[in-house]
Formats: sequence, structure tokens, C-alpha cells
Amino acid sequence: MELQDVTYNKSEYVETASGNKVSRQTVLCGSQNIVLQGKVIIQSDAIIRGDLANVRTGRYCIISKEAVIRPPYKKFSKGVAFFPMGVGDHVFVGERSIVNAATVGSYVYIGKNVVIGRRCVLKDCCVIEDNTIIAPETVVPPFTRYGGSPGMEIGSVPECQQDLMIEFTRSYYQHFVPSKLI
Amino acid sequence: MSYIVQPDVVKYACTCGILKPISNLYFCRHCLEIRCSFCVCHEADSHYCGKCAENLPSSEARLKKNRCGNCFDCPSCHQQLTTRAANVGPKNGEDTKATPRKVFYLLCLLCRWSSRDVGIPDQSAVSGGWPERENVYANRLQEIQDMYKGIVLSDKQQKLEKDKKKQRRYMSFTDRTGITASMLRKRVGLPDVPHPLLKSKPKEPTKAIATEDVEPFLEDLLTQPVNLSLITTMEQRLVQPELQPTTVDKLFPIHKHLSVKRSQRCRSCEHNVSKPEYNPNSIKFKIQLFAYYHIPEVRLITVEPLRAGKVSELLIKFINPTQHQTTVTILPYKVQDDLTLEECKSEIAQQPEEKQSIPVASSQPSSLIHSSLSRQPSITIKPRSVTVPIAASIEVPNNTFILPPRDDAAEYDDSGDTHNIQDDPKLVVWRKSNKAVIRLKIIPESDSKIGDEVVVGFIMQHVYVNTITTVDNKEPQKYEHKIKVFLKLGGLVGNE
Repeated sequence: MELQDVTYNKSEYVETASGNKVSRQTVLCGSQNIVLQGKVIIQSDAIIRGDLANVRTGRYCIISKEAVIRPPYKKFSKGVAFFPMGVGDHVFVGERSIVNAATVGSYVYIGKNVVIGRRCVLKDCCVIEDNTIIAPETVVPPFTRYGGSPGMEIGSVPECQQDLMIEFTRSYYQHFVPSKLI
Repeated sequence: MSYIVQPDVVKYACTCGILKPISNLYFCRHCLEIRCSFCVCHEADSHYCGKCAENLPSSEARLKKNRCGNCFDCPSCHQQLTTRAANVGPKNGEDTKATPRKVFYLLCLLCRWSSRDVGIPDQSAVSGGWPERENVYANRLQEIQDMYKGIVLSDKQQKLEKDKKKQRRYMSFTDRTGITASMLRKRVGLPDVPHPLLKSKPKEPTKAIATEDVEPFLEDLLTQPVNLSLITTMEQRLVQPELQPTTVDKLFPIHKHLSVKRSQRCRSCEHNVSKPEYNPNSIKFKIQLFAYYHIPEVRLITVEPLRAGKVSELLIKFINPTQHQTTVTILPYKVQDDLTLEECKSEIAQQPEEKQSIPVASSQPSSLIHSSLSRQPSITIKPRSVTVPIAASIEVPNNTFILPPRDDAAEYDDSGDTHNIQDDPKLVVWRKSNKAVIRLKIIPESDSKIGDEVVVGFIMQHVYVNTITTVDNKEPQKYEHKIKVFLKLGGLVGNE
């Protein structure tokens, strides 16, 4: 299936020089700690908690509506520390998903209503299906498909996942167009 | 897109007759055929642990029963266990000024099961050193295994011996003179040597004996209320087949299963179609002959509401993934003419002298022949016929259309370069760089009912440029390759 155009209100979105499209209706806490490498789309009501620790995303990441990106914490004997969070290139995060991972690799697809537990590591080219809950500190190996609650490995991902995700995020960016005034 | 989560709308027919989306297909460049995971040979390249990404050689993996030595799964919920540190202060009676020691235990962060629950002592090292559970029947299992190994070995030997005898019947000298070795020994008066196989008869393990004394019946079973939270579930038992704990206090951490990196090999020419890198975290491939990189991709854009017997317009997009220009022709597909498609590739008669060069190659010493064409297929696969109910016909266009090569730089070029291709405006609706949208007219069959799934099929013929250079052939060759493509268009919405 070819993607359909997703239209947005031009006044609602800010477009930066590097091609990031960020909605004004988002909660970007500690924006000085958030790095978006370019061509990243952050849709309305998404939350990125840059105030807790640095958040760094690669190119062509798509953060859908009401998604939450929150750096993970670790308890020590003397209190709690937050860790910086890295997200690779060509990553899709679906609507209402909560990502609390330590690292998210490149070419990762995270579906809708997913909870990625604290300090998870998502390696490159993995797929998390919709409505999955991944337990804290889980490592998701490359080319695996996780699903269910609690999230278990339920299958594999085609070996050309890298190119499928590049194609998907690129065409999502191209189809994410301002609505035309009539 | 659809390949990641959505249902597969466009499917290609593999050479073996199975329908698959293009992302799951391979394309063997040597025999120019589509291959799917059912018609390739799978080989385990390396074993690794998905959690700690440790690579294990296959012999060590077998010794460890294909499980990781350091990583554990929760026996209760089968999630990954994490190692937790705790500080233990000095115990009573010890020196109170001693520094607190760090100890480690295993904890499941999902169900909060911990190694302390079942009384596994805390460890002083981060990884390893966890007590292994010995199977009570390990010795007997080993005995039985050894016996069967012995049987297999002696069977093999017997077969070998038989083959030898058969050969001897025609070749042996003693046979011709009518004297065998054993006859000669008898004649001389020596005792006959015992048969070598009888000597090494596999040792039989002690037989299992039924016992008469059974455990006494526990009155508690009738009087005590059952506490299900103390009893393990079926899954919890079956995940540890050698122990099968019945109560939760016998749940012990499970060594994590290893994963495998596998390479795939074309069954007819034995060339690799997919070979991943050795590193478990790497997503790169040494060899990647995926159909996605070689065969034009077909994508459904829109289809008009389908009504039985009425013409609907179908828009599909073709994408050329290769570095070479290709020409696509759409040919009609009929369920009957599967046989005519046996020969799905044909060399374009451009360089007729090439055909003569092949016998020349075979006269050379075999080490010099690198030609892929000279290899003989080891297994021939008989394709099964594609059984898809086609519920609509396509008005096949007479014209062909050209897809320009893929150009990564074209992404940043907004000039709308059309390569000055003269297109039939009735067929090609839109084109940009290596993509083209074409319009087809389809007619669902007049006797289908509302809600019926409409599937259309056609044969896509495209020009494939094979860039493999061989000793006797430096120029890339062009082939016409045909693939059956099936599109699921959704339900019928009306009759008229």
C-alpha cells in the first residue's frame, strides 16, 4: 500500500532549517537537552522529557501524537540518576506509546500504545507491535518482532527491514504536508 | 510500509508457487529465479545470545545445550532476569567495622520473582557462579543416549561393510580363486576371527523396572484447600522439561536460549542468497540478494469502488530498485497457463556470440571455470501451481513503460526530471525518478457477491540486467524476467 498524505495545519508546526517539523502543541521539557538531527517529525501532544537527561534522535524519526519519550532512571544506594537516551535513525514511534528505553537502535518500528520499560535496549531493525508492554531492562535483539503483554519474541523481521524503514520514514516525511487553504 | 505491520496486499509468486510479499523473497542472481524461505537451504552460521550478544562456536553451543551461560530467563514469566546488587552489612558476632559487602541476586522486573525466593544463595560476582541444577536422571539419560549413538555407529559400519562386500564380489582376488579369508583360516586350522561388529555391541542400559511400593496417599490432598498460587502453570513446567517443577518453590532460573544467525543458499545452484555478518549486533550482510533490491516493487495506490461486472480504475505504482533502466510489460495471467510460465526468463538476443562461449569454458580445466552457468543444479524443485481464485479481469495495456534507474541523489532534486520519456498518457499517470504510477482497468466477475474478496493477477515482465561478470563474459547481460503478481483489492461493494 502506498502511504496516504497526512496533512497538518501550517500554523501549528515549526519547521527548522534542518527539516525538523515540531508541533507547537507538544511538551518539550528542557529543550536545550533535546537534539533532533534533522527531518524529524514530532506531532501534537507528544512529550519529550529533556529536563531529566539528554535526548538525542537520529535523522528521519517520527514521534506520533501523544507519544512520550522519557529518559530512563536507575536507582542507586544514594538516590536516583537519569541516563541520557539515544534514538537511532529512521525510527517510528506510534501514537500513545511510552518509550523509556536506554537506547533505541536505528530502523526500529514501535507501534501504537506500546510501553517500552525502563532501561530497555532496542537493537537495530526490530519491530514492536501495537499494544505491547516490554518489561524493564529487556534487550530486544536485531531482526526480532516483539508483541503481547508481557512482550515476548513472536516472530522475525524480513532481512531488508533496513531499507523498508528508510523507505517508510522518508515517504512519511514526504507525505506529511501542510493542508492547502481553499 | 505494508510489509512492516499492515496486511500484505501485493504478493508475488515465488518460483516454488508460494505467494509472499516482496520483502520476504530472495532473487538468485545466478539462476535468475525468485526464491522464498521455503525453497532455500538454511544454514546456521553462528550461535549468539540475544541479551548479552556473546558469540559462541557451535561446538560450545552444543555442549551448553544451546543456552547462554550468563543470561537467565525468569522461570515464572519467562522474561529476562536482571542481576541486582545489594549491600550486606557485617553479621552479628563479626567485626562490626568491616565494610559492607556487595552481593548479587537475580530479579525479574516484571513479576518480581527473585533468586532469593527459592533460597539460591547470593553471589559475590556479577555474572556466573550460579548453582546449576543437576537432573536426577542425567546418568540414565546419558546411558540411553550413548546406547543409541552406538547403535547409529554400528548401523553405519554395517552399511559400510555391506558396500565393501558388494564391491568385493566383483573385484576381489580371493573371490576369483574361490578362497575367502575365513575359509583360508579354517583350512589352515586357525579359529575364525570374530566379526568386528559383534565385538563392539553397544552396551544396553539397565532396564526400567516398575516398582510396587507407591508413595502413601496424602490425606492433606483431600483436607487442605488447594492454594493455586503455589502450584506452577503448565507453561512454567514445560519450559523446563527435564525438571518440570510442580510447585513454585522449585522454580529455578532458566538459562537463556541462544539465537542463530543463518545464511540462506539457493537450492538449485547452491549460491548464497543471504549471508549475515558474524557480529550478532550487526545488521549488515555480506551477501544480500533480496528480491526487494532486484525486482520492481508494485504498490497499490487506489482502486475505485468495485462493482460486479463494472469497470473500475486501479492505480498502481512501480518502483525500480536497480541501477539499470528497465522496461515493464504487463501480460495477462490466466489460472490455466501456469505451465507456459515454466521458462520465466529469457535472454534477450543481443549478444548471440555469448552462447557459443559456454562450451569453450567447459573445455578448460575446472579450476578456471568461475562461470555460474556451468554449475549443475543439485536439486530440482517442481513448482506447485498457484491456487488463487482470480475474481476480476484486467484490461491489459498494449504498451510497455520504462522505469529509469534508481538515483539516490534524485531525492534532493525537485526539478521534476522526467528523463524525456515519451509515455502513453492513458497508461502512465505520473512519474518521478525511478517510480511510475500506471492506470489499469479491472472488471470484477459479474457473478460474484457483495463482500467477496476481489483478487487480480497479472504477469509483470521486466528487463533484468545481470551484472555478474564471468571469465568468458565481461559485459552485463540483459534478461527478460517474468513474475506473477497478485493484488488483493478488498471486498465488492455493489452489484450494479
